[in-house]
Amino acid sequence: MILNNGKFSKKLITKFRTPFYLLLAFILFCSHDLFIKMESYFLQPNQETTLSLYNGTFESSENTITRDRILDASIVAHGKRTAIDSASWKDQDTTLTQLTFNVGKPGTYVAGVSTKDRNIELTAEKFNAYLKSDGVFDMLKKRTNDSLLDQDAVENYQKHVKAIYQVGDIKSNDWKTILGYPIEFVPQANPYEKHSGEKLDLLLLLDGEPLTNQLVFANYVKDNHTHKHSDEGKAHKHEGESHEHEHANNTNEHSHNDSHNHESDGEHHSHEDATTSDSHSHAHDDSEKEHSHTNGQQLQTNDKGIVTVDLPEDGTYYVRTISMKNVIDSDTLTHKSKWATLTFGVSHSHDPNSKTDSHSHDHEDENGLPIWVFILASVFIVAILFLIFRKKES
Amino acid sequence: MAINFKRSLTVTLLMIPVLGIAHGVTDADQELLLQGGLWAYIRVGATHMLTGYDHLLFLAGVVFYLKNFKDILKFISVFTIGHCITLIGATYAGITANDHLIDAVIALSVLYKGFENLNDFKKLNINVPNLLLMVGIFGLIHGFGLSTKLQSFDLGTDQLLAKILCFNLGVEIGQILALIPIVFLITLARKSNQFSAFYKAVNWYLILAGVALFIYQMYGYFSSH
Repeated sequence: MILNNGKFSKKLITKFRTPFYLLLAFILFCSHDLFIKMESYFLQPNQETTLSLYNGTFESSENTITRDRILDASIVAHGKRTAIDSASWKDQDTTLTQLTFNVGKPGTYVAGVSTKDRNIELTAEKFNAYLKSDGVFDMLKKRTNDSLLDQDAVENYQKHVKAIYQVGDIKSNDWKTILGYPIEFVPQANPYEKHSGEKLDLLLLLDGEPLTNQLVFANYVKDNHTHKHSDEGKAHKHEGESHEHEHANNTNEHSHNDSHNHESDGEHHSHEDATTSDSHSHAHDDSEKEHSHTNGQQLQTNDKGIVTVDLPEDGTYYVRTISMKNVIDSDTLTHKSKWATLTFGVSHSHDPNSKTDSHSHDHEDENGLPIWVFILASVFIVAILFLIFRKKES
Repeated sequence: MAINFKRSLTVTLLMIPVLGIAHGVTDADQELLLQGGLWAYIRVGATHMLTGYDHLLFLAGVVFYLKNFKDILKFISVFTIGHCITLIGATYAGITANDHLIDAVIALSVLYKGFENLNDFKKLNINVPNLLLMVGIFGLIHGFGLSTKLQSFDLGTDQLLAKILCFNLGVEIGQILALIPIVFLITLARKSNQFSAFYKAVNWYLILAGVALFIYQMYGYFSSH
């Protein structure tokens, strides 16, 4: 009897587990955010660094981005926008597209990547699940109110992402550069003149105009690597180590021993095929946690298109939004979406009067002691020694 | 004569604000170097010399032992040639070292100078190394330390040699500015009948400062690894 029960349970589990995993994997599969992720957002002049395109979540990338999909990739510094040569991108296995480069002179830099639009066909059920998991709540609400939850969707989507990073200690004005993407976040202050405990205003532009009442999600990864007080003068070598760990994790999370096959369950996933490796064995342990792109702060742009992000701790911050609209005048499309993300680093202030934040160690305290302390201590010691020797000689 | 010593101390104290003001050059240096052209390199070089107390202590040690201007000129020239060679050469060639380690060696040069001035080599029955040669060797080491500092800035690639030379010129200007009060102070103190006590006090202080700076830099080195 026990054996029978066990067999029954096994059968039941087997029957439901596969569709469950498939659904979760599908949600992951069709809801890839794109982020520009750096090894560190605080860099030393001329330091070599790697910029990665994370297509998936901020924590893990599911697949690479093919070059033909990149409409624009550029870096803005010192008032000059430089296009990234498409040949400079390198793929790391099938999960990451990376650019390794020397950062150059001190300043606040902006990196941006804009991708071509693509179409995706989704069943009603999967479309609703994705709207929920990705926080496109306004569209989900509209479908609910209009009793359209049972309607399949063909969505046209495009992704436009930015990162702002700081090189050296000098803050330049490039952080405010509008890259002219169909959708983009534009900070209203230099993120690197903000510190943990403060707030940062971001303007959200859709086709160059402020996008009002738009849901925006902001989250951060607590960062122990922005700098280390005891390691003054050592230019963040540990950050390279942290990068290695990240990749190690990625490798573990994204083993390509695919346990499910998208084709076999009759789903049409061809929309991502050009860029997506065919084996998407998402770690199911992760999937079983409620998979969501909506963790962190849930915010809304005001009537000027501005959203205020809290910066509670040191770390790497990422802000994302999906602006989705119904398409009425198309035979093929039902929806059109524009995705935007922005990533940047935040550290704490050392000195409220200081114009620099965390990376002034190299040139501060040249020999570790303030000159005043040194001189006063020197005069005091010499005077004491003099008195001792004078007494001795007399 | 006691008045002379008091006068010396007063001069020392008067030097403090000058050196203190000069130290206000940290990250502003980098900004200055980026935007201020070659003149900025001269200025930063001078301020680095004036605020680099390990260099100043060594210079004080060198000058303390010497009794006439000709000797001062000779020894300072050798020291200058030494630090010019490594400052220009190492920076241009991009040779650098751990700044804690190089500063630790510079600290040892301070200790050495105090030890030498107190005739401790003789007391230990050790032949005193050639004074001029040692000053030249330490000049090379100090120059390498200055080069390491200079290379911690973003120098860019344009006019690199001109920038290094301007920084070096600034270092020499800073050195002259630092030497003026040091020589003045020592000359003044030398007239005192308590100079012997003052001499011992200062050179013992060099030894103590050298040891302290060495420990400090080694601590910095190990704590950063």
